Amino acid sequence: MLRGPALYKMAWRNLWRNRRRTIITLSSLAFGVLTAVSFTALTDQSLGDAIDLAARMSNGHVTIEQKDYRDSPSLERTVTGDAAMRARIAADRDVVKVVPRISGQLVVATATDSFGAGFVALDPTLDDERSFAPLGQISEGKLFAAGDAQGIVLGKTLAKNLGAALGKKVVYTLTDKHGEIVSGLGRVRGIVATGSPSADAALCLLPIGAVRSLIGYGPDEATQLAVYLRDQRRAAEVAQRLGALVPPGTVALGWAQVNPDLAGFVTVKVIGSEVIEIFVILLIAAGIFNTLFVSVMERLREFGILLAIGFSPGRLFRLVLWESLWLALVGLVVGVIVTAPLYHYMHVHGIDMTARVGTNRVEIAGALMPMVVHATIYTDHAIVIAIAIVAVTMLSGLYPAWRAARVQPVDAIKLGY
Amino acid sequence: MSEPVVVMEHVSKHYRQGSTDVPALRDVSLTIERGEFTALCGPSGSGKTTALNLIGALDKPTSGSIKVEGHDLGSLGRGALSELRRDRIGFVFQAYNLVPVLTAYENAEIVLALQGAAPGARRSTVMKVLGDVGLGGMEARRPDAMSGGQQQRVAIARAVAAHPAIILADEPTANVDSETAEKLLELMEKLNRQEGATFLFSTHDPRVMARARRLLKMVDGQIVEDQRKS
Repeated sequence: MLRGPALYKMAWRNLWRNRRRTIITLSSLAFGVLTAVSFTALTDQSLGDAIDLAARMSNGHVTIEQKDYRDSPSLERTVTGDAAMRARIAADRDVVKVVPRISGQLVVATATDSFGAGFVALDPTLDDERSFAPLGQISEGKLFAAGDAQGIVLGKTLAKNLGAALGKKVVYTLTDKHGEIVSGLGRVRGIVATGSPSADAALCLLPIGAVRSLIGYGPDEATQLAVYLRDQRRAAEVAQRLGALVPPGTVALGWAQVNPDLAGFVTVKVIGSEVIEIFVILLIAAGIFNTLFVSVMERLREFGILLAIGFSPGRLFRLVLWESLWLALVGLVVGVIVTAPLYHYMHVHGIDMTARVGTNRVEIAGALMPMVVHATIYTDHAIVIAIAIVAVTMLSGLYPAWRAARVQPVDAIKLGY
Repeated sequence: MSEPVVVMEHVSKHYRQGSTDVPALRDVSLTIERGEFTALCGPSGSGKTTALNLIGALDKPTSGSIKVEGHDLGSLGRGALSELRRDRIGFVFQAYNLVPVLTAYENAEIVLALQGAAPGARRSTVMKVLGDVGLGGMEARRPDAMSGGQQQRVAIARAVAAHPAIILADEPTANVDSETAEKLLELMEKLNRQEGATFLFSTHDPRVMARARRLLKMVDGQIVEDQRKS
């Protein structure tokens, strides 16, 4: 049987003995919740968007390719993405889509001019704008249809530089699987305007079937299999799992390995956000400590009396810790109530920084980041914030609790207040 | 009435004030027997409160020994002293010193709760004791909603509820008016006679001295007179 008066009840009542002080402390806790959630939610959403967009601008959250491709990209380094292989990959619980791609360099020419460009050969029956962002940014014409062996889509700037309007013929030249130079004839079916200057000046989309025939690939051969996930945060883990499924000489790489610039940017942003949150939490901890310590020092006489009538030092320690816990829990609830409307607004409407930045998209490490930043917090980050708030409050209460437990009854009772 | 509850033998207590040694109690020997209604009286600074603090295991003597129901306080650790105070000693302080966030009922119940008494037994004991001290119907009131006299009654109820070996009352009438003081003394006298509760007062209130059946007069940290009334 538990002995003694219910400490949780005494602590709850003690919390409200100085309402003004408690409310001020709760306000600082609520401000901490609001700051931590807002920062984290904006970071989670904006970085998540950037990573997803980078995956949709290139070859997925996880890219399967030949082991040496990254160090020495070449059309000679291929993987086989037959239906059975794609089905095995798609069976992974985190995978939503697997598509074959051929990517490389070519020279595209019209009668008047020629330019070097990057090309992505894709299957229009498998890819759409959810797996390859430029397909949703075709500003003129449309994507070549299945079976259209001559179709080609050019970046807006590239098309302009070439003087290639819709329906015009272009010739593209590249090396085949064996290193021989080959050329193909294309007819411009669409113009894509991604908003990324580098992509618009050097992007060329081709039908994968026609490219396979041209460069001597087998029917399922590709330079990459692009794998898309439900949650980009699981990319490294999924890449490890898929690495066990692919044939020898083939690797599965997470987006951070494929795009180290973006990974570096994400790391810097996350660390910056965490440093700010740590400072906010330290400031809040100082406020909570002050409240609890003053509250304890004001009650030394009372603690002396409690010790005199039979409270043990441990029980006094637990009483003050209960007060800390109540403060944390109530602060958390108040914080959630205060944060919810702002979070909802930022989640639905976002914060528009277009006017401040002067453009509606900024290219960072190959990813186009929109300037309307929305807020969405990952559940595990919200849980970490809640635990951190409670833990910091409890830690702030440790010294005051220890001080209360160290009271000498005879000295405390002598105090005149 | 020959069973000793408190035995003090050659007890001295000195305090340090800077580099000065201040004697508060000097070679005091005293025995309090069960059922006594005793007052330590004397002028301020005579050592009354120091003696009460030492008997109540709130402080340690510089020399000498104190036994409460045979337990040598000097040989007990902090935890054991805490249990001894909880189980065998009741305190009534000058300034009531109730727990402000607890109701009258909860204040009177607190020692029983700390002892781990069953809820049913606790309830019946506390209701009876509150009735005995004239606070029936005021169980739900908090200290800030009670007069000084009522608060002191709750403090007395808290002290006697767990049937301690001795109740130490430090100037219990100092903060109440004359009428209330008389009523409190009547109450404590009744508890002494009917329940057999042993009381030791520290006081310079003539009303307390008048009712005490034993008067211990203290001067300069020494008991100079031990007067038993018939």
